[in-house]
Parts: sequence; structure tokens; C-alpha cells
Amino acid sequence: MVQTFDITNAMPGRATARRVVLQPWVYLAPTLATLVVWIYWPLIEALYLSFFQWNMLPTATPRYVGLDNYANLLTLPEMRRAAWNTVLYILGLLPLSVVLPTAVAMLTQDLSAPFRNLYRSLIFIPMIIAPIVAAVLWRWLLNDDHGLVNAVLETVGLSPVGFLKDPSIALWTLVWITGWKLIGFATLLLSAANGSIDPGYVEAARMDGATRWQVIRDIRLPLLSPTILLLTMMTILFGAQWSFVYINALTGGGPLQSTTNVFYLMWDYGFQSYSAGWSATAGILTFAGFGVIAVLCLWLMRRFAVHEG
Amino acid sequence: MKADARRLSVHVPMIVLSLLAVFPVWWMVVTSLKPENEIFSTRLWPASPSLENYAYVLDAIPMIRILWNTFAMAAATATAQVLTGLCAAYALTRWRFRGASVAQGLIALSWLVPFQLTMIPNYVLATQLGLLNTIAGLVIPNAAAAFAVLVLTNAMRSFPKDLIDAARMDGAGHFRVLCEVVVPNLRAPLASLGVLVFISAWNEYFWPLLLTRRIEDTVVQIGLQMFMTQEGNQWGALMAAATLASLPILLLYLVLHRQIIESFMRSGIR
Repeated sequence: MVQTFDITNAMPGRATARRVVLQPWVYLAPTLATLVVWIYWPLIEALYLSFFQWNMLPTATPRYVGLDNYANLLTLPEMRRAAWNTVLYILGLLPLSVVLPTAVAMLTQDLSAPFRNLYRSLIFIPMIIAPIVAAVLWRWLLNDDHGLVNAVLETVGLSPVGFLKDPSIALWTLVWITGWKLIGFATLLLSAANGSIDPGYVEAARMDGATRWQVIRDIRLPLLSPTILLLTMMTILFGAQWSFVYINALTGGGPLQSTTNVFYLMWDYGFQSYSAGWSATAGILTFAGFGVIAVLCLWLMRRFAVHEG
Repeated sequence: MKADARRLSVHVPMIVLSLLAVFPVWWMVVTSLKPENEIFSTRLWPASPSLENYAYVLDAIPMIRILWNTFAMAAATATAQVLTGLCAAYALTRWRFRGASVAQGLIALSWLVPFQLTMIPNYVLATQLGLLNTIAGLVIPNAAAAFAVLVLTNAMRSFPKDLIDAARMDGAGHFRVLCEVVVPNLRAPLASLGVLVFISAWNEYFWPLLLTRRIEDTVVQIGLQMFMTQEGNQWGALMAAATLASLPILLLYLVLHRQIIESFMRSGIR
């Protein structure tokens, strides 16, 4: 039955009881309605669409094709390419969003307050820069003919690099731009976690003759593991989605499909080639895949995160 | 000697990261101020700074209109998310009721659904409702967010229950308690959530990309992309447009950087 915390409603009586059952739902209604109409119902519709062929014209009726979309997509080289690239995006982002920030947080743990605040404000800036602005300014910095980076490379005697044109490099360029926005934020998150470690542990270890490296390995890293795992999980679950803007704005999945990923593929099927069924199918497959990964991640986090105390 | 080296080793990584973070933004502003004959020079400050690129942008696209659209969209989204989040968080912390965990689960899981999966049904629905090329269309699907509910639920958990009970004893209804007791006491978390949502709405890309096709109806992110497609190699003008697109957020950051960093960190990525 319903339990309330206030005295006025604790007195039994049918009318009050019913009102209490309804009341929370009234307050939840705007949120739940928005989520159901714009996320959950569309999710079901996408599942439905994945069994149909439809060119998105209001005049055309979707045609039922059973599991054909799934069968086609799973054997399509394009899809395999996109899935593999998705893995590359995530693997490429991890050093930028987890490894490097962890290292910096360790190295800079004894910064004094005024400096720390200055650095904090500066390295956080990319996080608030709009993705499309980041795309535009890196496109300029990395431009083949007149970009600053290639100008610098040439002055030190290296040949210019086609950062967005070379199929073997373009994906890593997009990984870098995606990661550029994250490094500072991840560093701040880890520094904060590092700063909140009880100095008593470190002191005790030092008294026992532990070296700086041993302190890091045996005390700091384990105590930072919840934050490290959280950042890792975020990167795995959302990293490839974050790179969507840069793919769409800078490469369109090219050159030679080298920068496409599953999220771009869904967009491409949906709004470039207007095959709603394929787009929905790719979406459902991706969602299922990431769902499994999410469950795995949560399980790992619960298993391996070390909590203080 | 050794102490100096230690101190240096502490600063070097931070200085490198700071430069990495700031220089591209600096370069954007510098390029935007360079007159045409200087665009390809590598000087870190233009020899003769000029605003001609800005004049060009304001002439080529309806930039003021676009910035206004973006402001209206971001402000409305922030207001809506704070209000819906406030109500939902009140319900989740105030009452224990059957279905509460289902509601909570529905809210928490919603941000795992990738937008690309729901985009086609959403687009169809928005078209049917006549929301294409409207600000309302940009706001309505984002009027509630899991994130806002989670942040405010946490804030309300630590809210002293005695205050609410005292107001209830005085006969105040729940809505009045929410407006007159909870809101005034949660001003800080409400404001920081508002700023956070404003920034992410300002930077929103995907939904406006689908929904707005005319440059005078769009928001600044898509306007910038349209401008890039049209005049991709007018670097000075492109950087001026990018600077205009980021200026409001950068100014906000200049004033509120400490609070903004705090609230981003407290609430994780997104």
C-alpha cells in the first residue's frame, strides 16, 4: 500500500488514499509523457520499422519483409566496416578520455590552489565549445594547404599530412577531435577524485617505506577505480555517438568509408538514402549490442571497483 | 634542484594541456580578426586587426536572427527541463508509491537510447504535428530529461524533511510547498542545472539538423554548418561565424566558470 511521510495523509480514508496514489503520477506526468512520446514509443516504432521496407514518403506504405533487413545487414560489408570502425573509435578514445587524464591527475596532485584553479578553468574550455565549432576550427588547423599544423610540420622538414583526406589517418583525426573535448574534463574529474583520497592512507604507506610508484599503484589507482571505470564505461557507451558530429560535418563517412561508424550508417540509411527499414534495423542491432555491453560494464564495475572504507 | 625539478614536473603536463585546450580557440578568434591578405600568415596576432570578416558573415547569413533562435531555444529548453525535473523529483522523493521504481527506471534508462535509433519516428511525428522549422519543435521533445530529474532528485534527497512537514502541518498543499518551501531552498542546484542545460541546448546539433531546413529558422550550430558547406574555404569568415556561435557561451563561462565546472563535474558527462 501507499506510504506517506506526512501526518495529514496518514489517517486512513478512501478519498485521501486514492488522492495520494494519483498525486505522484500527476507530478511525474510531464516527464514521463515526454519520455514516452519522444523516446520509448519511437523505440517500439523503430523495432516495428525494422521488419519493413519503407522509403519514408508519407504516400508510400511500408512493406512487410520479415527478417530480410536483418539478414541483409548482417552480411553487408558496409555494416561490418562500420561496426569495426565503431570499435576503433572507442579504442582510440580511451587513451584520451581515461589513460592520459589518469596520468596527468597523478603527476599534478600537489599543485597549489591558485595555479590549480587557473589550469582548471583553461583545460575545461573544450568541453563547453560546441561540437560543430570544434569541427570547424580543427578543419582549419588541419587544413592541407594552409592549416597551421601542416605549416609547422613543413618548417621542421616533414611532409604535409592529409589529416581528413588520407583514408588511413582520417578516422584518427576524428578520434582526436572527439577526444580533444574530453581530455580536460576527464582530467578534472580524476584530479577531484584523487584529491579526495584520505591523505592518511598515503601517509601510512610512506611510513612503511612505500615508493611514490607503489603509492600510486597500491593506493591511488585502486581508490580511483570507480572514477576510472565510470569514464571507461561512458567512453565505451557514448564515444562513437560523440564522434557523429565530426563524421557528418567533416568527412561524410569518407574517404573510402574509412570514417563511417554504426551511428553514421543509421543516419546515412535514414536521411541520405531514405531506407527507413535499414536504418531502424541497424539501430536495433546497435542498441542490442550496446545494451549487452552496458550490462557487462555495470557488472564489472560492481565487481572490481574498490570503495574507500 | 631536485625540488625545482619536481615542481616543474607538476606544472609541465598542466601547461601542455592548457595550451592544447586554449590554442585552437585562440587561433579561431585570431583568424577571424585577420584581414584577407593576412589569412594565411602564421602570426599569433593580426598585424592590422579588422572586423571585415564579421561584417561579411552578418551580411551573408541572418546571423542575429539565428543567434536569437538559439537563445530562445536554449532558454526554453532549460526552463522546461528544470520545471519538469522539479516536479518529477518532488514526486520521487516525497511519496513512496507503487510503481515508483518503474517510473525511476523508465527515466534513468531513457538516456541509453541513442538518438539515431528514434530519429525516424521522431521526425515523422514532428512533421505530422507541424513542428518542422519551428522553435517549439526543437524544445518540446527535450522538455524533460533523465539527467535533470536525477540531479534534482539527488538535491532533494538531502533536503530537510522537517521544513516540508512543518509547511504541510500549516495546511499548505503540495504545489505550494514545492513553490514556497522547496524552490527557494534549492536555488543553487536549480540555477546550476539551468546553466548546464542551457549550454548543452545551445550546443545541440542532431535534432536541429533534422528539424530545421531553412537558414532563417535554424539554430547557430546548423547555421554554422550550412555556412561551412557554402563557403568552406573562406577561412576568415568561417572563423568569425564560429566565434559568434561560441561567444555567448564563452562569456557565460567567463563569469561563471567556477560554478559551471562544478556542476559539470557533479553531474558527469553529457
